[in-house]
Amino acid sequence: MNGTPSRNGATGRRRELTDLYATVLEVVKRYHGAARVTRVSYGAGMPVDRLRAFLERLLALGLLRTEEVDGRPVYDITPRGQEFLDTYWKMRAYVEILGPTERAGRGRP
Amino acid sequence: MEARRVRKGASERLGAVDGDLVVEHNGRVDVDGRLVVSGELRCEGTAEFSGAVECRSLRLEDGPTTVRGDLLVRDRVEGHDSSLEVTGALSAGTVDVDRRLRISGAAKAEGFEVGGSLEGGSTMTADRVAVGGRLVLAGKLVARNVEAGGAADLAEVELDKLEVGGLASVRGGAVRSSIEVGGRFRSTAPLVFGSLEVGGLASVAAGSKGGDVEVGGKFSADGDIIFGKLEVGGLGSIAGNGTGQRVEVGGKLDVQGSLKIDGPTEVGGSIVVGGSFDGADLEVGGRLEARRAVLTGKAEVGGRVATREGLKAGELRLGRKAEATGPLVGRDVRIGVKAKVEDVFGQRVELDDLAEARRVVGEHVRLGDGTTVDSVVYSGTLELGRNARSRTAPQKVETLPAFPI
Repeated sequence: MNGTPSRNGATGRRRELTDLYATVLEVVKRYHGAARVTRVSYGAGMPVDRLRAFLERLLALGLLRTEEVDGRPVYDITPRGQEFLDTYWKMRAYVEILGPTERAGRGRP
Repeated sequence: MEARRVRKGASERLGAVDGDLVVEHNGRVDVDGRLVVSGELRCEGTAEFSGAVECRSLRLEDGPTTVRGDLLVRDRVEGHDSSLEVTGALSAGTVDVDRRLRISGAAKAEGFEVGGSLEGGSTMTADRVAVGGRLVLAGKLVARNVEAGGAADLAEVELDKLEVGGLASVRGGAVRSSIEVGGRFRSTAPLVFGSLEVGGLASVAAGSKGGDVEVGGKFSADGDIIFGKLEVGGLGSIAGNGTGQRVEVGGKLDVQGSLKIDGPTEVGGSIVVGGSFDGADLEVGGRLEARRAVLTGKAEVGGRVATREGLKAGELRLGRKAEATGPLVGRDVRIGVKAKVEDVFGQRVELDDLAEARRVVGEHVRLGDGTTVDSVVYSGTLELGRNARSRTAPQKVETLPAFPI
């Protein structure tokens, strides 16, 4: 998959693949089961072709589900997807909490 | 009636249109005073209006539309693969735009739904605001439900519910029901909230007040705060006084002022309170530090207690190898194996094997095997284990001396 990391505007931190998956899931979640590809694309700031690869991967992992509505696919987050988001944000926070100490102590807590 | 058309790339001066108006790609309307369209206004591609526009409904397709003035749409704004910029105020029934919506003036609609980003330079009033990406507002936002998938950067708010996927910041106000944020939440002015649930990091300004707070990583309050239940996975800090019903912190809780909790307090690591700590039950895995701590129920500390004026509880338990500075007071006090404490006061005081204390004062005292104390004062019974030793002879009195707290 083409998953080139980019910069996170808010923190200046490099956006890793997991950040992008989380972004996509958060955008899909906001549509409450009616997320269309184009809308998710604008919300996540990701071109549709690249987004499709992310959606397929998230579907394969059971973090998203899809159904056809009016002949077009719509997406929704699954309980596993929500679990991923909960863990992701908590882990991000811990990384941030532990980060400065780790640098200050040259790797020692 | 056939729709009036502004042809591709053309520019027309218009004031009033009876019926529908279609502006083709790169069409420009030079507005004569105020453009009033009695029917639908449809923009097919890039379109620009030099002044205020009023219409029954607005449809945008495949391109950005700019209105240099106010925009009043009596029914709905609907945009597909398009964005809308309004340099004045916007008033509409509902607004649904795929890409970007930018409004410089006040914005009012029943609902705003934007796929990409919504930027507002002034106030916004709506029933529902839903943005896939980023929501930025410079003025007060009054709404029932607000959702953003990516981020929300808001001024003062008056909402029922706020849900943001990534980062959210507000300049105080009120969120009556709930705030749910995936990543990080910040309020830079006092906030009143029903509940606050944040996956990562959350900080609120001094004077904030609300119900339950649940934060996965770190929670901080810049000053005094009132809450229901405070549940934090990692670190909690309150740079003032904290008042709540219950506390559950996985790591460390640091309170610069005093802490008053009606129900149980459970801290996995340490709790440090600059002033006094008043609570019901307390369970601390590591360290408790406070000027004084008074618990009406049970207090269990696994590691270290450090107080200036003392720790008092109905039932007080110190763990194995625990250490305490400052007096310990309880109705029923039990000091763990190999623990080292200073003065202990209680109706019933028990030192487990090999524990050490400076002074023990109690109605009924039991010193386990190998314990060492400087002195024992008791009024009822004294039990001594094997090799239990008091450096001065135990003293039995009619009435115990007053306990320090």
